[in-house]
Amino acid sequence: MINAFLVFNGQGQPRLTKFYTQLDTSIQQRLISEIFTLVANRPKGSCNFLPLPPLLAASSTSTSSSEPHNDVPSLVTYRNYATLYFIIISTSTESPLALIDLIQVYVESLDRLFENVCELDLIFNFETLHATLGEMIVGGVVIETNMEKIVQGVRAQGTVAKRPVNESRGGGMGLGSGLGAGLGMGGNFVWSGR
Amino acid sequence: MFEKSLYDLIRGLRNHKGNEKEYIQNCLKECRSEIKSQDMDVKATALLKIIYLEMNGHDMSWASFHVLEVMSSPKYHQKRVGYLGAVQSFKTDTEVLMLATNLLKKDLSASSPIVISLPIAALPHIITPSLALSVLADLLPRLSHSHSAIRKKTIVTLYRLALVYPETLRAAWPKIKERLMDKHEDPSVTAAIVNVVCELGWRRPQDFLPLAPRLFELLVDGGNNWMAIKLIKLFATLTPLEPRLVRKLLPPLTDLIRTTPAMSLLYECINGIIQGGILGDSEDDGREEIASLCVSKLRGMITFNGDANLKYVALLAFNRIVVTHPFLVAQQEDVIMECIDSEDITIRIKALDLVQGMVSSDNLVSIVSRLMRQLKTSTNPNNDQLDDLSTDSSEEMGAERRSRKRDEAPPLPEDYTIDVIGRILKMCSQNNYSSVVDFDWYIDVLTQLIRIAPASRKEVDSDGMALRPKSTTADISESIGNELRNVAVKVKAVRAAAIRAAELIIAKLSMETTSHQVISGSLKPVAWIAGEYAYLLSNPSDTLNHLLQLIPRIRPSEVLATCLQASMKLFALIAGNDQTYWTAERKSMISLLMARVIHTYEPLVLHPSLEVQERAVEFTELLKLTAEAASAQASSTNELEQDPPLLLTQAIPSLFQGWELNSVAVGAQLNVPMPEGLDLDEPIHPNLSSLLAQADSLMLPIQEDDEFSAYYNEKAAPTSISSEPAINRLRDAPETTSGSYQQATEDSYLDADIIARRKAERAERNRDDPFYIGDLGSPSRSQGTSTPIHNILQNENGPDLDIDSIPIMKLDLGAISSFGVGGAPGTPQRSKAPKSRPQIVVAADETLVGSRPSTPRTGSQHDSDADPSSASAKSRAARKLKQSLLQVDSSHLRNLSLEASHSEDAAGGALPHEKLAETDAEMAKAMKEVQRLRLEMQRANERIHVAQGVPTEGVVVKSKKKKEGKKAKSKSKSEEDGAGAGEDEKEKKVVKKKKKKKAETEAAKGGEGEGALVGGEGEGEAVVTVKKKEKEKVKKKKPKRIIQLGDEDAGAGARAEAGEL
Repeated sequence: MINAFLVFNGQGQPRLTKFYTQLDTSIQQRLISEIFTLVANRPKGSCNFLPLPPLLAASSTSTSSSEPHNDVPSLVTYRNYATLYFIIISTSTESPLALIDLIQVYVESLDRLFENVCELDLIFNFETLHATLGEMIVGGVVIETNMEKIVQGVRAQGTVAKRPVNESRGGGMGLGSGLGAGLGMGGNFVWSGR
Repeated sequence: MFEKSLYDLIRGLRNHKGNEKEYIQNCLKECRSEIKSQDMDVKATALLKIIYLEMNGHDMSWASFHVLEVMSSPKYHQKRVGYLGAVQSFKTDTEVLMLATNLLKKDLSASSPIVISLPIAALPHIITPSLALSVLADLLPRLSHSHSAIRKKTIVTLYRLALVYPETLRAAWPKIKERLMDKHEDPSVTAAIVNVVCELGWRRPQDFLPLAPRLFELLVDGGNNWMAIKLIKLFATLTPLEPRLVRKLLPPLTDLIRTTPAMSLLYECINGIIQGGILGDSEDDGREEIASLCVSKLRGMITFNGDANLKYVALLAFNRIVVTHPFLVAQQEDVIMECIDSEDITIRIKALDLVQGMVSSDNLVSIVSRLMRQLKTSTNPNNDQLDDLSTDSSEEMGAERRSRKRDEAPPLPEDYTIDVIGRILKMCSQNNYSSVVDFDWYIDVLTQLIRIAPASRKEVDSDGMALRPKSTTADISESIGNELRNVAVKVKAVRAAAIRAAELIIAKLSMETTSHQVISGSLKPVAWIAGEYAYLLSNPSDTLNHLLQLIPRIRPSEVLATCLQASMKLFALIAGNDQTYWTAERKSMISLLMARVIHTYEPLVLHPSLEVQERAVEFTELLKLTAEAASAQASSTNELEQDPPLLLTQAIPSLFQGWELNSVAVGAQLNVPMPEGLDLDEPIHPNLSSLLAQADSLMLPIQEDDEFSAYYNEKAAPTSISSEPAINRLRDAPETTSGSYQQATEDSYLDADIIARRKAERAERNRDDPFYIGDLGSPSRSQGTSTPIHNILQNENGPDLDIDSIPIMKLDLGAISSFGVGGAPGTPQRSKAPKSRPQIVVAADETLVGSRPSTPRTGSQHDSDADPSSASAKSRAARKLKQSLLQVDSSHLRNLSLEASHSEDAAGGALPHEKLAETDAEMAKAMKEVQRLRLEMQRANERIHVAQGVPTEGVVVKSKKKKEGKKAKSKSKSEEDGAGAGEDEKEKKVVKKKKKKKAETEAAKGGEGEGALVGGEGEGEAVVTVKKKEKEKVKKKKPKRIIQLGDEDAGAGARAEAGEL
């Protein structure tokens, strides 16, 4: 199952935190910063999987000798779009490559909802972020990978607010490129008929 | 009042760059007051802001009651905020959760689908067994809701319910199964079910075998890749139980592998084949084919240009294969080894995992040397850096160094270095060194590793800030040292080489970083070997010098104690030689040496650690005596030959002579029978406390003693004092000139040559000396071996022949000698019996044999020997597991059998939640009766005549609080405000008794309103029976909850709801 879904930007500021098991706020923050450190130091061309952050490694290495435990979070998958990092922490029962695509679906859905989504949209509409995620993952289990249905589900909950008018895109924020630019990286995975 | 919207908050945050903290604090303060507003809009906005701040690390658990308030808002957009707040901040121990139950139940039966999905999505985050029990009845009907979105979410939520409350499945499974079987079901609902079944599948695969046909159908014409992946994963857990599935599965899987354009699906097919054990080892042609297909595809993934993700997953898959089919993986060694050198740490680590699994005596050397090369090249720049900073040794510097390293993105992070070193050690030592053929090589590797290991020292430096448990980082260099020690103890043939390595290490340690504390953990084991096998040292007096220099710079007390002991052993060896005459030269040399040793030991006499102190005191006193004796003993002249003092030649060496030490099995201690009459509970001294008290009062005199002894010491070693500093200076001089890190690194850089040279030398030596092994090992074995044959033997079965003492001694004497393990002729002794002396038998052995059947120790038994403790270790590990972060504990599920549930269902057994309803109904009746009686009594007491229509809920509260409730109501208004304000600031739930009472009084007053909100959610007397149960719960919990309420804002909240309702 999926243990957590995180979004933070290039400075490590969280934009979305969703933990499917409850953690203290302080531990959440520690975990985020540990993952951020790992993510920020990735050389170019690395794979989309992180070694376990110390917080998680401490609990899993103690048992690494025996058979793999499917309950323990053991996979940290990330994907980088423009200024944002999307992270999924999951157990080994999830398919690593499929998780990469799941992030892709999430971002594409956001893009659909916001039309050329950029970090600002996410900052000011974090409720929509949650709503979108809620249409894809419930309680750590993926319920929908079809983008149409996700978007439809979010829209059913009310209109998605656009970004504030006076907060012009890229104006002073340097976010002009937006996330949409990163969407080209469907990359090496072709997901026909998701 | 202008309240900030979330938008304003975020803008403000962005406009207050630099002093965000202050801004946030102000905002939080505003939010705190806003959230108490009567206006639901303001409340909801404030909550949204608080949720936003929570994301940035500002705790919002204090707001949980307000979250509940907003959740109960009739407006959807406010409700949504409330539920978001609950999802983000509620924990299973959040107290208001109890109050939320009815709200959740109500929203679950709302008419609007978007409202229904709020509690459904929130439940997984807040679920507790009791909550699960009470919402289950409301959740189940949602499985057949007309909206597919509701259905699929419900299925997942039911799964999460089942994790904490397995009985859920008993009720839900038949319905879920029905959904799954329904071919006209919405595909996304089916996919959600498959996801859930997959999650359940690995926990209880046997329950899902009957579903196989339907699942198979879905796999073949599902068309949804995500679902297909899940199905394959599910099948992988099913095939081991039902081998016939394999034949069914192979065609579609091979088909998918060949045709699918989705790499993820392709990978999962391969992975499924591996995990499902489909690879098999039968001669079946089809399987052979699929195995090679899989492996070649995986190989292709690794070599596939530029896609690191594929590399990673392929390594993951190989890691699974290697457990069952190491030969298949071994064929791919070339590509895997390349991954070890990848610049991506994640891939490296996976490759390392893999390599560790496929190591054998054939490839060990090549693998380890590859890793060594990697370590060496990567540590060089680090060492340069270290060199720059080596002068400052403070802890801050260590931390700074670390952070600087981070910034520069070092080629290898220290964690990784430590990890690699640990793995090298593990690979080499696994199965009792069965893979190591050439122990000289191994010793060289260890020596090299100790040089590379400085990274770990920094780890110790900054231990304070290291987040990991100390044990993992504690000291990798100590474990390297331990390896060296193990080799020295276990492998007699190379003991001499190991000792020489130890000698070098000590010398090097004493050279480097003169002012620096010695922190390398390798010193302890290395010093121990040097002391224990001092007779093998090439230059004992140099080593002693080095040790003496090191001792003042050692901080950890265990290391210090070991070094003290070792240096004393060395001294005994040097001074104890009774062959040479007691010449004047020797006399002055020895007394000089003694003075030095005393000088080094003396400061430690007051060491806080008892281990160190004891040794220091003993040795100093002993040496002082000896020094007196030595100075008394006239040196021999030409005419008269004098013997050296007996104290020197006999007494001191005899302290350290004894049986050779052998390694003892991990569990061996358990085999020692408890001596009769040993009672560990018996106090050591009947009057210990008074003794201790005496000791306290004696502190002062003891100090005086010390002064006295110090005085005495100074007198005892007058000659040495003048010469001492000079020696020290002499010793210091080379350090400053040659002890730089730079040279050290060059050394290690050149080590390959050194290894080569040393190897050549050794080979040379061995060729000339047919008794090479015999000299060092047991002589009996090497007899009659001519050189070439011997070499062949050594090459062929080196590990068996060389390592005569490898089998760790078990205490079972009889078993070992009968098996004759590894040619060990000796009888295993308690720990002090050398093999070469079989005649010595420790009597205790015989009693041990009966105590526990133990097996002779051979290489492969490494693990089984630890058995006595391994079971408990496993359970400990399991327990640890449960505590792991982020983990969902699903262990309950394993005990629930779905099969059983089917039969029970067929028998028409009542489901637990139905039973609950029945008992609740009875309970409710009884409770109503009781309440009525109480109500009447209370009313009579209070002489307040209330109309009959007072809601029972409110009265229930009162009945609990009767005593406090009676307190004068008149003054409660003012009191309430005071308490509210006072406790508002407190936040923490530390509520004093007094305040509790106050709060309760208020609560009692506001009870009607609150009770109605919480317990009732608008329902009247005609409540469905099941709900009664909830009310009861609410009632029970009330006192606690009210206290918390009091924390926040006492009765204010309660009043607000009363108004609202």
